[in-house]
Amino acid sequence: MRTPNLVCGLCALALGACKQPSTDQPKQPAQGGSAPASAPVASEIVIGATLPLTGAESRIGGFYKEGYELAFEQATQNGGISVGGKKVPVRLVLLDDTSAQATAASLADRLINSDKVNFLLGTYATNLVEAQSVVAEQNNIPYVNGGGAATAIYKRGYKWVFGLLAPVELLAESIMKWVDTEQQAGKLPKPASIALLWENTSHGKDFRKGVSEFADKTKNYNVAVDESFELNGKDFSALLGKVKAARADLFLADAHLPDYITMQRQYVTSGLCNKLVSYGARGSEKQAAEALGKKNVEYVLSAVWWSALLADKNPEAKKFVDAFKAKFAGRVPEWYQALGFETVRALFTAVEQAGSTDRKAVREKLAALKMPSLLPGGELTFPAEFGQQSHAPFVVQQNQPDGSAPIIAPPDSATGKGVAPNPNCK
Amino acid sequence: MKFRLPPWIRPRAAIALLVACVVLAIGPLLHEDVYVHNLLTLTFIGIAAALAWNWLGGYLGQVSFGHAAMFGIGGFVSARAELSVGAPMVLAWFIGGIVAGAFALVWGHPTLRLRGPYFSIATIGVGEATRLVCTYWDSFTGGSSGLSLPVHGDLKHTLYWYGLVLAALALAASYALRRSPVGLSLLAIKSDVEAASDVGVSSTRLQDLVLFLSGSTIGVCGGFYASYFSYIEPGDMFGFDRSISWVLMGVIGGIGTIAGPALGAIIFVLLRQYLIASYPQLYLGLYGLLLVLVILFEPLGLTGLFLRIVHRARPDLMVSGPVEEPLSATATPVAETREAK
Amino acid sequence: MERFADLLIAAVLLAGLYATMAYGLGLIYGVLRIVNLNHGGMIMAGAYAGWYVHETLGLDPYLSLLPVAAVSFFAGILVYRLLVRRLPRGAAGGVQSLLLLFGVWLIVRNAAYLLFSGNDQTLRTSYATRAVAVGPALVSVNRIAVFAVAIAILVILHLLLTRTYVGKAIRAVAQNPDSCTLVGISVERIYALTFGLGTALAAAAGLLGASLFPFNPTFGASELLKSFVVVVLGGLGSVAGTAIAALILALVEVFAIVVIPAYLTAAVGFVLLVLVLVVRPGGLFGQRVLG
Repeated sequence: MRTPNLVCGLCALALGACKQPSTDQPKQPAQGGSAPASAPVASEIVIGATLPLTGAESRIGGFYKEGYELAFEQATQNGGISVGGKKVPVRLVLLDDTSAQATAASLADRLINSDKVNFLLGTYATNLVEAQSVVAEQNNIPYVNGGGAATAIYKRGYKWVFGLLAPVELLAESIMKWVDTEQQAGKLPKPASIALLWENTSHGKDFRKGVSEFADKTKNYNVAVDESFELNGKDFSALLGKVKAARADLFLADAHLPDYITMQRQYVTSGLCNKLVSYGARGSEKQAAEALGKKNVEYVLSAVWWSALLADKNPEAKKFVDAFKAKFAGRVPEWYQALGFETVRALFTAVEQAGSTDRKAVREKLAALKMPSLLPGGELTFPAEFGQQSHAPFVVQQNQPDGSAPIIAPPDSATGKGVAPNPNCK
Repeated sequence: MKFRLPPWIRPRAAIALLVACVVLAIGPLLHEDVYVHNLLTLTFIGIAAALAWNWLGGYLGQVSFGHAAMFGIGGFVSARAELSVGAPMVLAWFIGGIVAGAFALVWGHPTLRLRGPYFSIATIGVGEATRLVCTYWDSFTGGSSGLSLPVHGDLKHTLYWYGLVLAALALAASYALRRSPVGLSLLAIKSDVEAASDVGVSSTRLQDLVLFLSGSTIGVCGGFYASYFSYIEPGDMFGFDRSISWVLMGVIGGIGTIAGPALGAIIFVLLRQYLIASYPQLYLGLYGLLLVLVILFEPLGLTGLFLRIVHRARPDLMVSGPVEEPLSATATPVAETREAK
Repeated sequence: MERFADLLIAAVLLAGLYATMAYGLGLIYGVLRIVNLNHGGMIMAGAYAGWYVHETLGLDPYLSLLPVAAVSFFAGILVYRLLVRRLPRGAAGGVQSLLLLFGVWLIVRNAAYLLFSGNDQTLRTSYATRAVAVGPALVSVNRIAVFAVAIAILVILHLLLTRTYVGKAIRAVAQNPDSCTLVGISVERIYALTFGLGTALAAAAGLLGASLFPFNPTFGASELLKSFVVVVLGGLGSVAGTAIAALILALVEVFAIVVIPAYLTAAVGFVLLVLVLVVRPGGLFGQRVLG
């Protein structure tokens, strides 16, 4: 008796859900298709995005939000972006994906099919971007992201996905290249042994790939320890013990901020001192210096997608840093905000160049984009040969005893000189 | 040739299920809302998974906190079958389901000797160990990078009907498992293992059957999930949060009832969608609260609540079918079990 | 050889933390026959409490141990009086109590999310990176302190259970609740007290953990499972059993890195849990305890 009632209840619920009115949206041009240039332009451009505003990555999600909001604010101050000669206001619909993959994909679905956004901006974290990009590709909607760096995302032959983050393999390579120059200059032993520890995430795997491939190619390095550890691992003492026993020259790790702090703390207390230490993209964070003490992060190398120090030589970077400081009471932006900002700017530029909100036209402009950018190297492109993933160079930084972290590579962005080997370790 | 339904099937139930399926099947042809369409697809999978969990957790009384292990295995085996061997989608799901079911037997057979909370704790261990090993096992799961399946144009849209079939089959199986003679044996085992074997109910074989069915169905759901999202990753597939969600769906919907978990699944998916926009993290705490309330006041969850209302409104209505005992009678005192060994 | 000493010392120090974590769980189960799934939640709450007090009042975590434990004690009694007491007594409560306390854990986790966000937090004390030499190895000051505190707690607990009236009452109730009423022991009050005590121990263990590791609202899940391994391995009723079981677990975890990849050492505890449950549910010492 119970069963049929429940089953009828199920159908009623389902039908009820079906009858939900779709949200009222301004008139939109048709999805995809090749609309003629004289197609009516919408009265407002709605751009959808999700970010991890709560959950494990909420801190960084918040930073990306700042970048997005700054870009939208600037556009709004100008009356919107110019589409075919007319100024059209832009609006951001930002949802919280709580750092969960299925949520990110479902919300992307909702933004596209329920909120009827014109375009999508990406979220942060490779696996979320990878899941969301599938939805974008299935729905033929441009998806521009500054939060997913894994090459796997861009190796699927997708046409609608564009990435501003250069691959993490390149990050590893940038560090290794600087290390190499030091080795050529005789400052580091040849061959040099490497202790390679990597977080078992997509990021860590790519970092390890970059280091190993470089080592194989140049033959002046041997990887003595090659171990992965769990994200948010707690006790690295056994692992670090292994590193200690290997007596490696270089200590290269890849970790998220909490693991960096934990591991470095245990590194220091166990008495380890390698000639060179790097934690991949981590190193110069203020939080780490506070948590560990300035002395314990000295000479740590890192390579990041962007640094505020680029403002010295890069006019776009300077414009961004000034605008950010003005909005956020003098706070200096990190690469998260910069990438968020630039992601939006890339999309806006493509729409302006296309002169319409037609998705296919905008996609084509994105594919052909050559925009002066705050990124290192000064230009943003989405090369087709890399699956539409930007390969802008990284900046390598090193923490100095005075608390600064100058850019030491590449030479055209450098603001200081790096030191190797670590003078504290004899 | 006269077609006779087995006596334990009530014609009304079969017809109701059929009607519901037909309505849901033609529903999408009447509306164009893609978002709701996809939401329903996900709901169907939730229903199937929650029901499958309930066979072990409710019918057998062994609450599992590690079912995500089978979900993940099913999903990755299925994806691998499609990627490496080129198996067609449904066959891949089937393979994934079989492997997941087998895996469930491997760890479940020896573990089912444990009663009550011990089994549950062991399942947490199994779930987490599986997650770690599979995340490490790069060649199988792609490691933390996960596996990406090729995007087939309209697949996501048509998966709705596959999902509907899956949910309907799970519901039918739930009904059959409960109302058939097998169901009575399960009830006997749940109440008192020794007494059951005294009357000739082979507990190990039946438990293995339920374990396999539960595991393989969840495995198929995993395969479906992989096809739906076209990208799966071990941290997400094997996550403890995922295992928890089925416990919540089952208990809040009505553990041990036939369709209770399905109700739990629907509410879970709907609540999540609505809460996500305004109170993203709140739903977990809300569920904790619901769980506490259910355990304290209404062991049969929402189904129990519904039944009470029906009884209050129509006391003359005979609600027949196997009477559900609250969870309290399910766990045999472990000390006594050990002494009896 | 140096490496062996390093690992051994690391294992011994870790064992102290594990033992402290396990005792709260074991105590509650031994007396009330309830598996406290909120154990993980209380460990996390203790961690946050210690961190919060340190952030706002600047109080050193080891000094705030007693106040945090005291507050948790009363919180535990509250949980017992409001919720757990309503469950059917004895083993019959098995899965129900499990689910009930699991629900409480979810609520506590959510509260932490709301109050402190999901970000990782670290307890940064001035001496966090200082190390001393213990034999051939360099050991963090924090770890030694945690070990010392853990030993102190276990000794106090042992004395409490063997020398005081309350302690003996607790042990009596664990053995036979019915005859206790005959002798004039208020079983209900002992249950409440024990639950509070178990909760306090969990919170204390969490605070100690916070001084060593970073944490977030999901902290406590794997610690719960490790506690269970220790409790099942060592049985109940003796401090020695728990301590030895904790040492075994720590040794296995730490030395596993010699044979298996570092990443998989995280799985060791879980595999051990399942194996122990399946092979020797009576515990290594065969006591009738967990049954």
